[in-house]
Amino acid sequence: MLHTKIIDTQKEQIKISDAEQFIASSKFGANIYFTGTVRNLNDNKEVTGITYDSHDEMVIKSFEEIYNETEQKLNIQDKAVFIEHVKGYVKLGEMSIIIAVACKHRDQAYVLSRYIIEEIKKRTPIWKKEHYINEDSQWLKGNPIKT
Amino acid sequence: MKITLELFGASRDFSEKRHIDFEIPKPILIKDFRKVISDYLNDKFNGNTSFLQIVKNSAFCSEENEIISDNYKITKSQKISIIPPIGGG
Repeated sequence: MLHTKIIDTQKEQIKISDAEQFIASSKFGANIYFTGTVRNLNDNKEVTGITYDSHDEMVIKSFEEIYNETEQKLNIQDKAVFIEHVKGYVKLGEMSIIIAVACKHRDQAYVLSRYIIEEIKKRTPIWKKEHYINEDSQWLKGNPIKT
Repeated sequence: MKITLELFGASRDFSEKRHIDFEIPKPILIKDFRKVISDYLNDKFNGNTSFLQIVKNSAFCSEENEIISDNYKITKSQKISIIPPIGGG
């Protein structure tokens, strides 16, 4: 069971309550919520916010691929996975991503949650432009996608 | 044929619009299209090395949302996305 969405911050908010609602089930004994938030300092620069850019279709496709491959790679069949990522401007301390997973047992849930965020970092086409206290801004370097 | 290069991430700084249109006379490999983009940016931004580096390190994506290799041949007018190095989360 999978839910994916890109949240445009100009139109709506990313909410942990949506994740709670999606993964709630009596058949799962372990739930993990991972959230990413905008940090105040990067490379000794004081960050005030981040603008996220997204190739929407590719992002959703990559979320689905990551989810689908966990069955074989991690041998986790029964699971609920909720992935939402923002696009647009996010202020300091606000959430940029929610990954919520529910599995039968905690070992699976920890492995699954970690796998999803690490794969998103490697292959999901999302970009960050940091905004600093001196009103300067900069696209972060990122990792080249494999072809 | 017209190739519309859709811009994402750091490549958004290449234009005030969200895309750049290229008129290409015949089918072209991605590796050659990469050079066309670099030449265009070289002219427009006086050899801005940071922009050229972005093009060098970017992948490209087809209209069908597939990452395409340097040997992929563009044979008709279409949209191609440039995918600079990524970093979400």
